[in-house]
Amino acid sequence: MTWFSSDSSLCTCVCVTLALWWTHLVLFVIVPAVLGVSFGIRSFYMRTLLKVFKWATSRIETGAKEKNEELYKPDCTGKSSDEMFHVKSLTLARLVGIIAKGRAAPLQELRSTAGSDFELADVLYFSRRGAESIVDDEVTRCFSAQELETWNLLTRSNYNFRHISVRVTALWGLGVLLRYTVILSYTQVIHHQIDHHAAPQVIHSGQTLRENKPQNGGICVANHTTPIDVIILANDGCYSLVGQVHRGLMGVLQRAMVKASSHIWFERSEAKDRHLVAKRLGDHVADKNKLPILIFPEGTCVNNTSVMMFKKGSFEVDCTIYPVAIKYDPRFGDAFWNSSKFGIVSYLLRMMSSWAIVCSVWYLPPMNREEGESAVEFANRVKSAIASQGGLVDLVWDGGLKRAKVKEDFKKEQQKLYSKVLVGDTETEK
Amino acid sequence: MCTHPPADEVRRLDKRFKKLDLDDSGELSVDEFMSLPELQQNPLVQRVIDIFDKDGNGEVDFNEFIEGVLQFSVRGTKEQRLRFAFRIYDMDNDGFISNGELFQVLKTMVGTNVEDVQLQQIVDKTIVSADTDGDGRVSYQEFCAVVGGLDFHKNMIVDV
Repeated sequence: MTWFSSDSSLCTCVCVTLALWWTHLVLFVIVPAVLGVSFGIRSFYMRTLLKVFKWATSRIETGAKEKNEELYKPDCTGKSSDEMFHVKSLTLARLVGIIAKGRAAPLQELRSTAGSDFELADVLYFSRRGAESIVDDEVTRCFSAQELETWNLLTRSNYNFRHISVRVTALWGLGVLLRYTVILSYTQVIHHQIDHHAAPQVIHSGQTLRENKPQNGGICVANHTTPIDVIILANDGCYSLVGQVHRGLMGVLQRAMVKASSHIWFERSEAKDRHLVAKRLGDHVADKNKLPILIFPEGTCVNNTSVMMFKKGSFEVDCTIYPVAIKYDPRFGDAFWNSSKFGIVSYLLRMMSSWAIVCSVWYLPPMNREEGESAVEFANRVKSAIASQGGLVDLVWDGGLKRAKVKEDFKKEQQKLYSKVLVGDTETEK
Repeated sequence: MCTHPPADEVRRLDKRFKKLDLDDSGELSVDEFMSLPELQQNPLVQRVIDIFDKDGNGEVDFNEFIEGVLQFSVRGTKEQRLRFAFRIYDMDNDGFISNGELFQVLKTMVGTNVEDVQLQQIVDKTIVSADTDGDGRVSYQEFCAVVGGLDFHKNMIVDV
């Protein structure tokens, strides 16, 4: 009977394929992981991907030129990264001018006299600031995914996706197939292993100064982009975690972790009681047998282009701080978890079907609070060190603004600053 | 009226508009503007929004948004910027800055940090020095005579 024989040949095919796949997996993934050997496959994979992306992008550009269409370019095109940094530093300088106390320097630029009389032109300063904020602002920019110059064949990061050429679309289709079948299935296997070094997904291109690794009795602080930060750091050392208690899948994970070692999970309502938090932290670091604490002082996920305000709580505890800078390479997949847009499950799915997650981790030299330095000043010092090492913009804005409104005090502060300009001199004369 | 802005600027602004338009209504309400932390601390934000809102319906649609923002771009003229600055004060849009209007605007800029009496003195002094035709209020020409001489308008440029 013919159907029986075709059925068996189909069976044979499937068996052979599966056998080949498993052999490949064992030979190239599991065994090297156990032995700690690398075949250099990952760096080859990365280089190939980059070449493909560049080709695809140039193909789209030439295709668009042929059709005389204008391509949407992300905000940073045409400027080198150095220039962008400079531009951002200028913006920061202006921002700091708003928030720092007692400085009216930005307003003085607009005044014709050095005196403190009111001028009709004064209002222009505020209207310009207003227009600038409307056009673009530092805060909302931190909470949406970074835009890329070269397209990495993921429609999620492309705003231009139109049918430009058959080849590019075919490549994209192939990419989808590859990512959702092969890479996704690889990751299923990998998650059964404890050692993540074998994962083609997570690639450390890091330069790590081993001697700066966090020790017991210290606190490790890092910038926060995604929950994967924890996995990456935990790959390289053991930590006790501090964080907000979550519900759902994350909550299950958190409870499971507590069974393995001591972590500190808070309710945000409880976190308002700072003494309680500080006490628990203090007790933990005092015990030299306990692992170093890992804290993300920003308090929320930021999109890895900048570092937002560090909350001072962890810097009030009297111990050594080990700063760590984490920077993801956005060309292979955007690691930022936009928690207002995606839940943890759909985020993980996106992560697992990206090309790869490439990150650089820098362990910075340990820092201690100096004499006479306040916790806030210390926090800012650590933040600048992390930002400059990771090539991120150092911002003073509070990450909490993702969910909450600016306090009324800030507006009052602005009003006070301006009043000082108007009438400040007369007050000092009294 | 104004030159056509390049397509990529318009596209960027379109993207920005959509990001600000939280309820996808096609128009920006005051609340949606106020979701920007930097604007929340700007005392003059209500005036800026009112000027953007040309038809006075309380919301800013896309055309008003583009026109409003482009006044601040490099492509804007000195005339446009002067007009904008004048409108900040001229709350009822009658072409004159009255004593009361100047007082109100100044009040939002200083909050409670300056006594009303002192503020009124500043307002009176300013009106007197600017008001060349003696009608007790400042017209657009008088305003330009005071402000237009400075290079201020170059400081009003925003990178779009």
